[in-house]
Amino acid sequence: MDCFIVSCTHSKTYHLGRRHALWLSTVLLGSSLIAPAQKIPQLGDTRAPFSTRATHLLGFANARNNSTGILSVQDDSLHFQQDGKPGAQVKIGSVRDVFLGGESKQVGGLPMTLGKAAAPFGGGRVVSLFAHKKYDTVSLEYVDADGGIHGAIFQLKKGQSEIVKNELMAHGVTISSHHVQSAKQGAAEVGHEDK
Amino acid sequence: MKTNKYGPFVGRVAALIAMAFALPCGLPGQTASARSSGGSGTSATQWSVQVDQIDANNLDLSYSFQIAIYENLLVELNKTKQFQQVFRDGDRRARELPKLLVLKTTVEQYTPGSETRRAVTTVSGATKLTVRSQLFTREGKVVLERTVAGNVRFFGSNLRATHNLARNVAKTIKQSPSLGSAVAFGATQAGFRG
Repeated sequence: MDCFIVSCTHSKTYHLGRRHALWLSTVLLGSSLIAPAQKIPQLGDTRAPFSTRATHLLGFANARNNSTGILSVQDDSLHFQQDGKPGAQVKIGSVRDVFLGGESKQVGGLPMTLGKAAAPFGGGRVVSLFAHKKYDTVSLEYVDADGGIHGAIFQLKKGQSEIVKNELMAHGVTISSHHVQSAKQGAAEVGHEDK
Repeated sequence: MKTNKYGPFVGRVAALIAMAFALPCGLPGQTASARSSGGSGTSATQWSVQVDQIDANNLDLSYSFQIAIYENLLVELNKTKQFQQVFRDGDRRARELPKLLVLKTTVEQYTPGSETRRAVTTVSGATKLTVRSQLFTREGKVVLERTVAGNVRFFGSNLRATHNLARNVAKTIKQSPSLGSAVAFGATQAGFRG
């Protein structure tokens, strides 16, 4: 009885399995062929817009100088959103060139500077030796509606400038040969700062 | 009857008021002409200026510095109120203006500094910039030529040198005694040529 049941079940399973396997492989083959076609537009649609935290030093549209905010690439424009204030934007098509650089700055701003000055026995100088941080700078050159040339400088965390540059290049900004030179200059500047 | 009696009086008062209003309006025009003939710097208000991009003169000056000098010059020249309008390089609106001066800035010397070194030593690490500023008329005549420096010695980032430099350039242009007469001379020449 056991043997019958087993053989019966086996034979049934075997037959169903073959049919199913054939059906399944057809479905899988079909779906694998369709999948890339579905994936490509999905990638384009769901790709999150690039954004990074940056300090606007000067020159970008109507943004306030030395303000911190989010620098992002949205559709066809470069957008800078100050914390709690209306954003400023520039069409990526109007960006003529991008230059990368680096800078080493003292951290803490004015309060820290005052504190260091007030510290006795030159303690502030010792603090200054360690209280500096390297930043990347991205300098943009863009034109307005009247053809006037504008320049803007952003300060970003170290390593972020390359990402911004790549993102702008992906959006069609042509970067001239001197950006390589500027990167070298930036590196030289940082090197000078370290001396 | 009453209106006839007061009519001349009202007329005289109205005339006096009209004169009182007309007099201050006439004065600025007179002073303006006096200023331009006198040759003080304020006659440049009739003129507009176009700021050209910075010429680094093959020095190792990073682009952020060049951009910062250019942008700061625009801001500082606007603040002086010496010029009717301040245009950027490449601005199409400047082409149509008959009274346009062009400011060319060439970097002559650049000493890179270090904010950390300034903070630690106080006496070293200054960032120094020296530029040659030239104001040209549209015809290419040099109206003003000065060498101006901008440094940051104690507090502030290296880019602050560009701000100080631009402020010094604007101050030099504002205080230049020869600017008014030179511009006036340029204007007459332009008038003859035009």
